[in-house]
Amino acid sequence: MPLEAPTRPRTWRRTALVVLAVAAFTVATCIPAIGGVELDFAAIAKNWRFGAEKIGQLMQPDWTFLPRTLQPMLETLQMALVAAVASAIVSVPLTLWAARPTNPNGITRRLVRGVINVIRAVPDLVYATVLVAVIGVGALPGVITLFLFNLGIVVKLVSEAIDSADHAYLEAGRAAGGTQTQLNRVTARPQSMPLYANQWLYALELNVRVSAILGIVGAGGIGRLLDERRGFYAYDDVGLVILEILVVVIVIEVFSNLLRRRLV
Amino acid sequence: MTLRLTAREAGLDLPARPSRLGPTIAAIVVGVIVVLATADLDIDWSEAGAIPGELARYAGLMFAPPNWEKLPRALFEMWRSISMAWLGAMLCVVLSIPLGMLAARNVGPVWLRLPLRGLFAVIRAVPEVIIALILLTVTGLTPFTGALALGIAGIGTQGKWVYETIESAQEGAAEAVRAAGGGIAEVTRWALWPASAPALLSFALYRFEINIRTSAVLGLVGAGGIGSMLSNYTNYRQWDTVGMLLIVVVVITMIIDAISGALRRRIREGATTRGVGRIS
Repeated sequence: MPLEAPTRPRTWRRTALVVLAVAAFTVATCIPAIGGVELDFAAIAKNWRFGAEKIGQLMQPDWTFLPRTLQPMLETLQMALVAAVASAIVSVPLTLWAARPTNPNGITRRLVRGVINVIRAVPDLVYATVLVAVIGVGALPGVITLFLFNLGIVVKLVSEAIDSADHAYLEAGRAAGGTQTQLNRVTARPQSMPLYANQWLYALELNVRVSAILGIVGAGGIGRLLDERRGFYAYDDVGLVILEILVVVIVIEVFSNLLRRRLV
Repeated sequence: MTLRLTAREAGLDLPARPSRLGPTIAAIVVGVIVVLATADLDIDWSEAGAIPGELARYAGLMFAPPNWEKLPRALFEMWRSISMAWLGAMLCVVLSIPLGMLAARNVGPVWLRLPLRGLFAVIRAVPEVIIALILLTVTGLTPFTGALALGIAGIGTQGKWVYETIESAQEGAAEAVRAAGGGIAEVTRWALWPASAPALLSFALYRFEINIRTSAVLGLVGAGGIGSMLSNYTNYRQWDTVGMLLIVVVVITMIIDAISGALRRRIREGATTRGVGRIS
């Protein structure tokens, strides 16, 4: 008896449609007349040497510049830490208000989520630009920018994680007659601490990276130095600053991975 | 008669309460560091009290009412930002999937894997703006530079996600292909790719979402798009136009997030079953 295999499901029509849609969108992004990007591959072929030269200059950092970078680097780290801690404190209640199991009230939950989505939709350097114009040059606009940036990340990611997890402990607490506030304080908060810790550390890592460029718009830290040296075409100094950022970012990443393994 | 006794009075041998000394010390140390860092920051706290009032005043200048005159121009520039983000995401994904696969433990050889991972780590540490500044010398102050910078800067993180996804794919299918005589290419095509494709596509869309935000950053260094327009009008102090631009950025970013989020959910979870297996 011949083996009767089921016919292969036909999906080529749908696949073709998806591919076509992606291709059409891509073509639309390449039309300069409606604001698309003009693909200029000839420039790469012609000018790639300039880029290579610049990378070559960056690769020869000027070590005598090192002492002058330490103070701004410290400021960057301080900004990153202060903003991460401030947003960590504020994120705890906001997250619990933004997750369905810990806030059954639909109106307040949507309100908190809406505010967080708006905060997240503004790019970090845009906050910095506007805040520098409003408050003035210094570390404060940088700290506020990082604070808002972190708040968006932590609240969104942790509240989604709480949403998708099982909550036997909440049910137990409710059966014992606890109010929602009591349940959140006694069960949900300690239960979700590892989730929080994970995202807080992630936010701290991101902060070091982001605050390195906030200085370009005048929001303090090592970025200000970076921008200044670039303005003088002192690429050996710029190379040193980039190298320093690289080392600090990697150190923070290793450190936070160690902490994460303990906490999570 | 009821007798109430604590466990200790009843002679039960309770374990001692676990020591909280370590965590307490850690918390105090972290607290002291944070306080010192805050106090040492170059912030004039005497003026801090005036900031909420100032922010409210500027919010009034921006949004009461925003100036819609430049809206067509803003939409044009926004599409330019979206184009940069999309092309950057395409470039990043096309480069990072093969590179990330080669960097995965069960695919690439050691001599290739370690340098690739090092490369990803280095790219992750270099801010996009720096990459854009290097590219400026090659392609000039154009949106094309922005797209290239986004594409290259994203490889660091994207490559890491790819190899982590591939490594977490189940070994079973790969072993079956190997048992049937498949080499590295066959294992990748018939075991690893089907297992990780949904996650990889989802990451690709996520890269697009991230790029939308980052493209505004590149606009600040002159790559064009909504970021350039925003920084220009902030410098001109035309606050009502800045307010309009902020509204455009927020609304369009949220719309794209919503669409892309829905697509990602569809890719990861498959089609929702309609009328199948619904009992209640």
